[in-house]
Amino acid sequence: MVQVSVKPESFEMVFYDVAVIGEVVTEVAERLGVDEAITLDIDENSPLGRSKILSYDPIGLWVDGGALENTQRPRNFGQARSRDTIGRLLLRILDRRSGRFDDAPTDDELDLSQFAAWDVHNVGRLERIGLGGQRKRRLYQFRNRHGFTDLADAAFEELWGSSELSWAEIERISVGCRT
Amino acid sequence: MRKIFPAEELARDSRFIRQTNEQRMGDPRGARIAGGNASGNLAKLTPDLPNGPDRARALMHGIFVGEIQALEGAGRTCWDFELGDEVPLALKLDMARQCWDEARHCEISVSLAEHMGTELGEYAENALLYEAACNPDPVLRLTGVNRALEGLAIDVFNTMKEFGNMAGDPVLEFCEDWMLADEVTHVKMGSDWLRRLTENDKDRLDKALEFQKVVDRLFSFNGFRGEDDDSPIQLTRRFRELAGFSDEEIDEIADMSRDARFEATA
Repeated sequence: MVQVSVKPESFEMVFYDVAVIGEVVTEVAERLGVDEAITLDIDENSPLGRSKILSYDPIGLWVDGGALENTQRPRNFGQARSRDTIGRLLLRILDRRSGRFDDAPTDDELDLSQFAAWDVHNVGRLERIGLGGQRKRRLYQFRNRHGFTDLADAAFEELWGSSELSWAEIERISVGCRT
Repeated sequence: MRKIFPAEELARDSRFIRQTNEQRMGDPRGARIAGGNASGNLAKLTPDLPNGPDRARALMHGIFVGEIQALEGAGRTCWDFELGDEVPLALKLDMARQCWDEARHCEISVSLAEHMGTELGEYAENALLYEAACNPDPVLRLTGVNRALEGLAIDVFNTMKEFGNMAGDPVLEFCEDWMLADEVTHVKMGSDWLRRLTENDKDRLDKALEFQKVVDRLFSFNGFRGEDDDSPIQLTRRFRELAGFSDEEIDEIADMSRDARFEATA
């Protein structure tokens, strides 16, 4: 059983509900096969969309309030965006635990191109299990980091469509198409 | 057909969600601009920012809804005023030309949204631009819309053009450059009509320039548009000069932005 702990317990800047957030995190975790306690820290003061992993074991996540926001209705909770944010973080944790990412740089050492490439692989996998998508948004981000070229688009397709790449494979694809 | 059409009744389909000025300005986290928070951590919009591409997407959507409202506003100006008594035919012809430009900009913006992976209606729409186009005095309307708001558009388009250039994205760069050329013309129209229609009416000129300041201040968003290196949107002196702004007027906008930023961070 997934146990989700959300901080803060109530919000003043945004119209978020801890119970609803907990339900979404639980749903995403269960779909990804994560069966353990998760702590989620939310900075409700920030409408930006940053997120990071505070701790891999036990799982501790941190996000800007904007990373869970409905962009059509500012200050309101957005389920789709939250699934995308939480899903990407949890997949990164699962990847690092798999043994396929033992040679990956730490999160602090990843550059923007590496982050973009890994995110494409994560969101592609999330889309296939029905947890988000925004394929074209990810393509645009990937192109910004790797170039607006046919080579970069082909690399994107490979990252998006693959099931379980290793870090070495992601890095090879990313480096191979940069302009 | 009625004159002065209210912003609340603008036609939108279900994809578009309206955010009122009260909601926007009342956000305790600070007014939003370009996908970022205007109240702190300002940074020039470039692809090198971790959230640069997403901020560009959000700004492009803001441009898109702005183009729709600019089309609606210019169209209303063609209709809302009587020929001869209130405005000359040449002014209506300029507004008709502007409608054609804005309609083309809407189509370009839709294509750019697709290019950048943004869905139409993905972000909330604010109708402040159209509301400025509801002023019952045609001189004030043109000053508020064509000088203040289209002037802002010059700054925004130039920033986006540079963003496209830095990212190596020729589609964004050239589309913004083409639209920027039209915006300079629109601002020039506002400058020319302000001068011609107030030639012998100092009081009306003063009122129009004051209205322009009010609109400029509303869109200063805590100083997000300015000349500092970290201003998300860069004030574009050269194009504003081409559009009929004096050095003093540009200095005043830059000062206003600095003041707004100081107030936001004090």
